Amino acid sequence: MALQKLKFDRLIPALGLAALLAAGNAAANGPIGDHVNDLQAHLLEYGDEVVWLIEQIDGIVDSYESGGLAAANPEAVVEHWEAVLFHAAIETSYVPVYASIWQGLFGVRQAIEAEATVADVRVQQAMLEQSLWQALGAVKMAAQFQQRGLTATIEVTEATTPTETLEEIKQRLDRVVAKYAERLPEEATGIVFDTYLTRFEGVEGMLIEQDAELVVDLEVDFNVTLPQAMESGASLDHVRGVVQAMQGKLDRAKSLLEEAEQDRASVF
Amino acid sequence: MSGAAGSLPLASGIGFAQSPKAVPVDELPALAGELTLYLGRGEGGLYENVLAAIEERNPDFTLNIRRGPTAALANAIVAEAEAGVRRADVFWAVDSGAIGLINAAGLARDLPGDLTNQLQPGFRYSRWAPVTGRIRTLPFNTEQLSAARIPADIMSLPESGLKIGWAPAYASFQSFVTAMRLLEGDRATADWLRGVNETATAYAGELGVVMGVERGEAQVGFANHYYTLRLKSGMPDARVAMAYTNNDAGCLVNASGILALAEGELAINFIRYLLTREVQSYLANEAFEIPLAAGVAPPPGLPPLDSIAPPEIDLILLADLRPTLDLMREVGVL
Repeated sequence: MALQKLKFDRLIPALGLAALLAAGNAAANGPIGDHVNDLQAHLLEYGDEVVWLIEQIDGIVDSYESGGLAAANPEAVVEHWEAVLFHAAIETSYVPVYASIWQGLFGVRQAIEAEATVADVRVQQAMLEQSLWQALGAVKMAAQFQQRGLTATIEVTEATTPTETLEEIKQRLDRVVAKYAERLPEEATGIVFDTYLTRFEGVEGMLIEQDAELVVDLEVDFNVTLPQAMESGASLDHVRGVVQAMQGKLDRAKSLLEEAEQDRASVF
Repeated sequence: MSGAAGSLPLASGIGFAQSPKAVPVDELPALAGELTLYLGRGEGGLYENVLAAIEERNPDFTLNIRRGPTAALANAIVAEAEAGVRRADVFWAVDSGAIGLINAAGLARDLPGDLTNQLQPGFRYSRWAPVTGRIRTLPFNTEQLSAARIPADIMSLPESGLKIGWAPAYASFQSFVTAMRLLEGDRATADWLRGVNETATAYAGELGVVMGVERGEAQVGFANHYYTLRLKSGMPDARVAMAYTNNDAGCLVNASGILALAEGELAINFIRYLLTREVQSYLANEAFEIPLAAGVAPPPGLPPLDSIAPPEIDLILLADLRPTLDLMREVGVL
């Protein structure tokens, strides 16, 4: 995943769309690039991607209808979403509908994995499609604001080092709390597991060279403590406390890896 | 059958015999121009360090990088080609399975023979270049077991009576099961999965498996080699060592790999940099990966490579995980 820090120097005037283009510090679930600073030039591309996404998801549901769970590969729902540039455009433009898309993605995936009726899966699919079209509309509106110079340039720093990845993990944990607060515990748990498998796994090998016990602690946090807290319906304050404790450990991990990087040999 | 670790006969499958040496970076042409690399998310920041060093060494060269999950990037490349566009000039995948998707779509360019010949025998492919490798191993608890107690035949492990740790949801494990399917067949693989599943302790990832073995929760597990090496690096007295099976999926060597999508010399010459003696040594020493260019020392802690007998298998056949996932679900391990 690419992006780490997105900074807006100022928010757009209210215009009844307070959340639009108010990403602040955000983390997208896929690559982001300079295209988010020139939305207008990429609108056709985004539109094509939305059409492509809808076709891919429709294909997955068709496969489920004809061949059941074994034929559907529901994990691909999220993979397809991560493969398009559009996700970064909407995340940096309008977080609420971005969250709805994620809700829809997991809705389709989880309905298939739970072997729900095809009709129920289609309901989830329709909600997802609605969110995607709504998102495209929001990005078009954001492009107009951008054209009028109502937004500052988004500074993009990609997570290219382990310490940046750890910072990104901390931001994702903030999202876990947000989703739990939205009463979306399954989505929050999905972010935890995805973050573990696609982010923490990539750095824990380096970290274990520095502090094996810290890795053990974080392994337990990711795989037991935090998921179990949410599954058991713990209070939001409790979940936030678990996350804050993890973020403290991740800060320590950052320090360790920064020190290790200073001692690392050069390539050439 | 027993006696797995460290005393294996030479491979009947692919081998690690020495061949032409890796090229020193000083012998490569300077890179000039611009390339777009699709980079599968992988080994922390170490691949990034390599890419930054290549750019720093070549001031007239600009590398644009799109990062993402390897499988998603492979899907994106195929989708872009179907839409009549090409955004990626080169694709560095952390798993050779994703390479198969691109090759199957006919999108990869031929690599010159002098480049592929720098690689170890058994890792020379016409349309992609393995960069570094990883071996499937059986990490075992050294207080509870000796290597001689571990079967040298992976298919015998369920009947060994050993306490096993595994991470069935983990991508590398699923590639290993795919190799087993290809080598042993679906029925034998299903029986093996059922057998292991009866008693195994499951972990989320394979570093967790190695750590569980070290703590004694499991006596033996399944994991790529570098997890054990890294744990030993941070915890030299860790109670874990690695065993290797013999010429079966249990000692599969998988690889990260790179391919060129763009015509022209620039993409090819960029790939040459990844196979240089310096880059291969860096990834071996810092990431504990196995250099696949010839004549470069393996990471410390691995046994002599010519004592390991991995199976002969075309790595890009590991691309299709679907039947493996279906099988794993069918037998109830996913």
